[in-house]
Amino acid sequence: MMLSVRGLTVSYGPIGAVHGIDLEIGAGEIVALIGANGAGKTTTVKAIAGLLPFGGSVTLDGTPLRPGAAERNLRAGIALVPEGRGILGRMTVEENLLMGTYCRTDRRAAAADLAGMYDRFPILADRRAGLASLLSGGEQQMLAIARALLSRPRLLLLDEPSLGLAPKMASFVFELVASLRADGLTVLLVEQKARHTLKIADRAYLLELGRVVTSGPARALADDPVISQTFLGGRPLAAEAPSGG
Amino acid sequence: MSGTLLLQQAINGLTLGAVYTLIALSFSLVMGILGILNLAIAELFMIGGYVGFTLIIAGAPLPVALLAGMLAAAALSLVIEKIGYEPLRNAPLITPMLSTLGFSIILQNLATNLWGSDPLQLPGDMLATRIALGEVSIGAMQLLVIGAAIVMVAALAFVIRYTTLGRALRAVAENRDVARLLGVRADRILLIAFLLSGLLAGAAGVLISLHYAAITPYIGVETGLKAIAVMVVGGVTRTWGALLAGPLIGLAEVATVAYGGSQIRDFVVYGLMILILLVRPQGLLGGARSDQGPRV
Repeated sequence: MMLSVRGLTVSYGPIGAVHGIDLEIGAGEIVALIGANGAGKTTTVKAIAGLLPFGGSVTLDGTPLRPGAAERNLRAGIALVPEGRGILGRMTVEENLLMGTYCRTDRRAAAADLAGMYDRFPILADRRAGLASLLSGGEQQMLAIARALLSRPRLLLLDEPSLGLAPKMASFVFELVASLRADGLTVLLVEQKARHTLKIADRAYLLELGRVVTSGPARALADDPVISQTFLGGRPLAAEAPSGG
Repeated sequence: MSGTLLLQQAINGLTLGAVYTLIALSFSLVMGILGILNLAIAELFMIGGYVGFTLIIAGAPLPVALLAGMLAAAALSLVIEKIGYEPLRNAPLITPMLSTLGFSIILQNLATNLWGSDPLQLPGDMLATRIALGEVSIGAMQLLVIGAAIVMVAALAFVIRYTTLGRALRAVAENRDVARLLGVRADRILLIAFLLSGLLAGAAGVLISLHYAAITPYIGVETGLKAIAVMVVGGVTRTWGALLAGPLIGLAEVATVAYGGSQIRDFVVYGLMILILLVRPQGLLGGARSDQGPRV
């Protein structure tokens, strides 16, 4: 397994938010973390990314990750697109993207990747000299994902990438995430939009109150009557065609 | 008052303003990243000035004295970061600020014991060279002060705007968590900010002592703290704001002394700061009200 999480616990002061989560992600997989607000999804990815101290163990390709070491984790190959996108609004679009290459020493390849990113997201090329804070929500999400990809991660953590986006833009973001598999990327996707998420994910974990209550192949979870009723509004995915991946 | 005298006062005001800009940027570098006012900067400025001034009196070339003043202030700045800030970084903002106040008083006490409380004077012949510009003249030292300040502000602006280090400094200032997610070692960037801040304060100290041809242990409080007013008037974390507000405050101060008397000088400078805080708290060139980006 590429990422292995064992007995993860995270607390905010005296209040426990995550209580012994186990999860695994294989190379090339898209794995989803779904659950209601307050389930511990964001806390889990922030701990994995190195923004929060944690108990238990997190290993990447067998190498243990130190709690709270976000800078090291990026160099190890983990990139997080945080909830709310984490755009540096006082910088230009290009400066944000250049920050994505901050840790890279292969300057020439990084410049080529930046040009490639502009080809992939032409709107970012059009707005490259503008302040990132002036982009629309969808464009900011593109920028956040593009910036994360420029660090050439092996594991991409995406926290609620569709949050606050219009349905059309949210669909675009899900298609984009599904397309990342073709880039050889491994993705851990945190989402509340379970319908879209389970369509593109290989496997999923359902979190409740800081614990994994069930996990398995995404399609099988989508067929689970309880999950279908709670997260899919009682309309199973079976009747719908997969949208990606 | 004649036009010539007015022009002469303007040159004096701009010289003073150039130094204020340097100290204001020194405050601003730390303020922008940590959100705290490093009150010891005023005394770093004083210590840098003393080190440079002592070397000049001993006959060292000006560039050597300037560099020594900058390095001394930068070294002390790093000590303040390690002892006065880092252990307190998770404490409420007022705690490290009080710690820098403690350092400020210690440094002033140190200078009084090392150099005495009487002013150190520059030999008169060093100030004799003046360059005539029509009916007004500018001292060679004034020219040096303005020139050095412009070079340093331009160099800092270039580093912040166009280099990887500058982008990292701005990223940490805007949102430390996001910067860390992008691989920026925020603790190291903080040290660099303190280092740059010390270098600027030290340079300003040497330059102001050259401008006044004298230095006392109290110059930090008398002059260094005015840079806080410059920073506030310009916009707390705005490089260009300090560049505008420094000369503005310098001119206001010199004009006040010329037209109203030196006894109301500080009233005008700090009054302007309070006025800006009341009517435009983000400063003349400040944009958004907030100085700190949201945490992830």
